[in-house]
Amino acid sequence: MDETDIIAGLKKGEESSFRFLVEHFQQKVFTTCMGLVHNPEDAEDLTQEVFIEVYRSASGFRSDSKLSTWLYRIAVNKSLNFLRANKRNKWLQSITGKTEAANHSKLQVGPGGSSHPEYELENEQRKILLQQALGGLPENQRVAFTLNKYDDLSYQEIAEILDTTIASVESLIFRAKKNLQKKLYDCYKKKCI
Amino acid sequence: MDCKTIHSKLFFYLEGSLGNEEALQVESHIVRCAGCRAFAEELKATISFIEKEKKAELAPFFYTRLKAKLEIREKTAPGFIRYRPVRILQPALFSLLLIIGIYAGVQIGQSGKNIQAAQTQEEMIPFLNEMETEPIEVFLSEQDGN
Repeated sequence: MDETDIIAGLKKGEESSFRFLVEHFQQKVFTTCMGLVHNPEDAEDLTQEVFIEVYRSASGFRSDSKLSTWLYRIAVNKSLNFLRANKRNKWLQSITGKTEAANHSKLQVGPGGSSHPEYELENEQRKILLQQALGGLPENQRVAFTLNKYDDLSYQEIAEILDTTIASVESLIFRAKKNLQKKLYDCYKKKCI
Repeated sequence: MDCKTIHSKLFFYLEGSLGNEEALQVESHIVRCAGCRAFAEELKATISFIEKEKKAELAPFFYTRLKAKLEIREKTAPGFIRYRPVRILQPALFSLLLIIGIYAGVQIGQSGKNIQAAQTQEEMIPFLNEMETEPIEVFLSEQDGN
């Protein structure tokens, strides 16, 4: 089934086309969401929302971009909206004093079966550190970095998704790496881990 | 290369995007400098989580769960009929309330001005009436008398 057939089928409301689309793109959309939200449950919910959005608005798809470009755009927008809503909730929780308990629970070491719990804890701290460093990047840098590093998309493909130039994408990714490195070094100097 | 320059290039070195010459310079510095070597190892361990997250897979039977969710959504809010009008009516209602509020405010402001004008007029009237109660001839004759 090629892209034209899928789009035609979606517009007619054919389940077979929708199913084909989902099965073909579900992992890619999930990886994009995972790269932005860093939580598998939230990433799966967002992936479902992406395909629900596709199902609802398929008739309005104008085919002026590729289907994959459209899907990535929806995935990025849904993930960013989720993060913004989450930020508001966290701010509200910080007022009510619930944040500390929530953060503490994140540092729980899973039942990895490792004989070195300190190593596990260090790894967990590194993971949180990376997520915080990525979360501290400006949105456009974060999105460009995620699409490049998590989805292995080319600068050309990222430029189409973000509706910008290749030079702009290069600059965003370069600055994202620099900023990420700086944040991680600052933490290393302060001995966060 | 000094340590500061090395730190700024480490991320690029670890992902293999530096040119050969630069990569060799970074490598030879790391071999000699314990501090930079330690940071390089730490950075490598931290960014390795990107590869781990990248490999995370969706739980099986995703399509089944998606279809179930879609059916629930269709039942609770059947497409166009309940969804679109709400999106149009809400902003229309707020706009109407805003217009009514502005109109009421303007009306109250104008009625306030009318009351002030009436009060000013009433204050002026005694001065005008004094001319009638005591005509100028009476006033002058009293003056002559004094």
